[in-house]
Amino acid sequence: MTDKCGVAAVAEAESVDDLLDSVTDDGLTGYNYAYLDEHTKREVRRATLSAIALPGHQVPFASREMPLARGWGTGGIQTSLSLLGPDDTFKVIDQGSDESVNAANIRRLAARTANVETTTDATEASVIQTRHRIPEEVLDDDQILVLQVPITDPLRRVDGSDDANRRRHAHSNYSKMWVALYENVVEYGEIKLSSRYPVLVGDRYLMDPSPIPRWDVPKLDDADNLFLFAAGREARIYAVPPHTEVEPLAFEDRQFQVERFPEHACGNCGSEDTFLTEVETDDGGRVYACNDASFCEKRRADPSLSKAHHRNGDGHTWGPPTDPSVPYESDGDSGENRGPAGPNRGGDE
Amino acid sequence: MGYVAVEAGEDVIQRAEELFEKQRVVGESDQISVEQVGEQFSRLTAQAMSEGGLYAPRLAAIAVKQAQGDTAEAAFLLRAYRSTLERWGTSVPVETAEVFTTRRVSPAYKDVPGGQVLGATKDYTQRLLDFELIDDDGTDPTGDWDVEAEDPPRLRNVMEVLREDGLVYDPERDPDRDDDASSGAGTEPFDATREPITFPAPRSAVLQELARGETGAVTALGYSELRGYGQVHPTLGEVRTGDLPVTIEHPYTGDEVEVTTAAVTETECVVPIYEKSDDPQFSFGYGLVFGRNERKTIGMSILDAAIQLDGEGAAQDAEFVLDVVDGIDSFGFIEHLKLPHYVTFQSILDRIRSIRERSAAAADETDPAPQEVGADD
Repeated sequence: MTDKCGVAAVAEAESVDDLLDSVTDDGLTGYNYAYLDEHTKREVRRATLSAIALPGHQVPFASREMPLARGWGTGGIQTSLSLLGPDDTFKVIDQGSDESVNAANIRRLAARTANVETTTDATEASVIQTRHRIPEEVLDDDQILVLQVPITDPLRRVDGSDDANRRRHAHSNYSKMWVALYENVVEYGEIKLSSRYPVLVGDRYLMDPSPIPRWDVPKLDDADNLFLFAAGREARIYAVPPHTEVEPLAFEDRQFQVERFPEHACGNCGSEDTFLTEVETDDGGRVYACNDASFCEKRRADPSLSKAHHRNGDGHTWGPPTDPSVPYESDGDSGENRGPAGPNRGGDE
Repeated sequence: MGYVAVEAGEDVIQRAEELFEKQRVVGESDQISVEQVGEQFSRLTAQAMSEGGLYAPRLAAIAVKQAQGDTAEAAFLLRAYRSTLERWGTSVPVETAEVFTTRRVSPAYKDVPGGQVLGATKDYTQRLLDFELIDDDGTDPTGDWDVEAEDPPRLRNVMEVLREDGLVYDPERDPDRDDDASSGAGTEPFDATREPITFPAPRSAVLQELARGETGAVTALGYSELRGYGQVHPTLGEVRTGDLPVTIEHPYTGDEVEVTTAAVTETECVVPIYEKSDDPQFSFGYGLVFGRNERKTIGMSILDAAIQLDGEGAAQDAEFVLDVVDGIDSFGFIEHLKLPHYVTFQSILDRIRSIRERSAAAADETDPAPQEVGADD
């Protein structure tokens, strides 16, 4: 049990004023270990276990108000805090960066209330909370990635009502989504979804993988680590357990395609196999740089570093997820090219 | 490289907080005390308590001061604090006829049992900016009134008159209905802060979420019904404000004891839309919020009535209303757009460029004429 300091503080207080004084202490001494009370942690853990048992299914939970604004990672931080213990090492990334202000804020809350070590190294962390990215370095089976989720249901793109969409999930009725994708192809010649690309989990539930770029979507498939998806405002938790099949929706003649960076390498480390973001410079130019800032730093020190450098055995890596030689459009006959197949996928080849 | 990665950390956060704090203290005037906020900006603290779902006037005054008057932020501070509090117990349900009424008007009747009590209101005041407030000396304008001070009355609820005549539909006594959405008699009310809401939601959950709703959102959605995006145009049975006694069971004796009062505003309304054609009865709506906030409680009663009708109007869809009415949710998500989005934007750029390349290529293919013309030259 970890709620000693909360209960003890209440039991030892002489008066309400004493209690209030202890609450306003700088070290948050009036708060429970890892901020949340034990009932809330139990609630979140229960939802998490249900989510793992039903991969891709959205489990409602009684999301608490956190001292962070809703929409800023409150589901992620509740999930992280319900998992963290004093022996854990915690990493927080926001859009690929450990140093973003919001990431620093979330990391600060966990460090202050749960006494965890923090790190920026994805290979060192036992729990990683992230907004909109999966790290470039391959995660292990003893690591948990907690993704912050703004919009829980991929069907929200075709119907705003969760009530109606829950019924669709119950019946595996994803026809409206398929029609929407087909209409994309008719109207634009291709599927115009960028991030938040809908995926089918375990051949059962359609899932919103959170606004990760398509680049990261294939990493969900048959991974060694556990992915938890948590939405505080929408009060839902869902999961992709290790070694679960995750397939992005696509047509036989319209392949799933990740973001393309033709003829671009990271301006900082020279990587050509990482997700890049472009930056407009003051002098009117445009440069590309690795989005995963912590891995970029490692690559700068050692440009030949593999994304699976820390793992036993070789070849077990993820990404770049699709083979650039596979055309986006095909005649529909090349079944073996379907889906996010690539030479590095899962390291099975 | 012209590009320096935007790096920030705790130091930057700290400085941003300090700059914000400076805005409150940088002026020439004295610091406003928490007592002054509580006493002179009671509408602000009432709104923060109502939207925060925590009746705590002093904490609300701190929150309003800390938020520099931003009610959404103040309500958020109260909610975040509230979610860390242990629950010691629940109060005993009380009839709102028990309210020590300081104001009660009934638009439905010219006169009502107990009479119309106008109380403190600005409703009939000409809205002229009062320049005398610049040199306000705090004189009590009622100081020389020659009236007997008496306890505020406890008044029978006007809707009871209609109920006794069987004119108001009662879903709990309707043998034709046994769905969750209408029932609630004798059952523990739903608590949305402890259980996630799924739809169809019980009425107690709807009322709780409306009572905690953002005042502007409740007003706007309620107005949408009046404005023609729905059919609910209610007649208010009454609007009352006063102090509601809070009663708990004594932990040792088990006796019910009144421990405090909470300032509330209550509205009940009837709507001339009939549940059944063979036994026409008014539909009704209910609103109750912490503090003095008549527009929110009237808006709430309209939304309660609209949601019970479950029709086609936007405000009649419980899921739509409850999804958008909460200020903490909406303000958080609206403002999250300020966070970096360059990963997702890169992904969007990739798609639009791909589509434009494709349509440019297609245009070249389907329009070979320029090449032929060129060949003739």
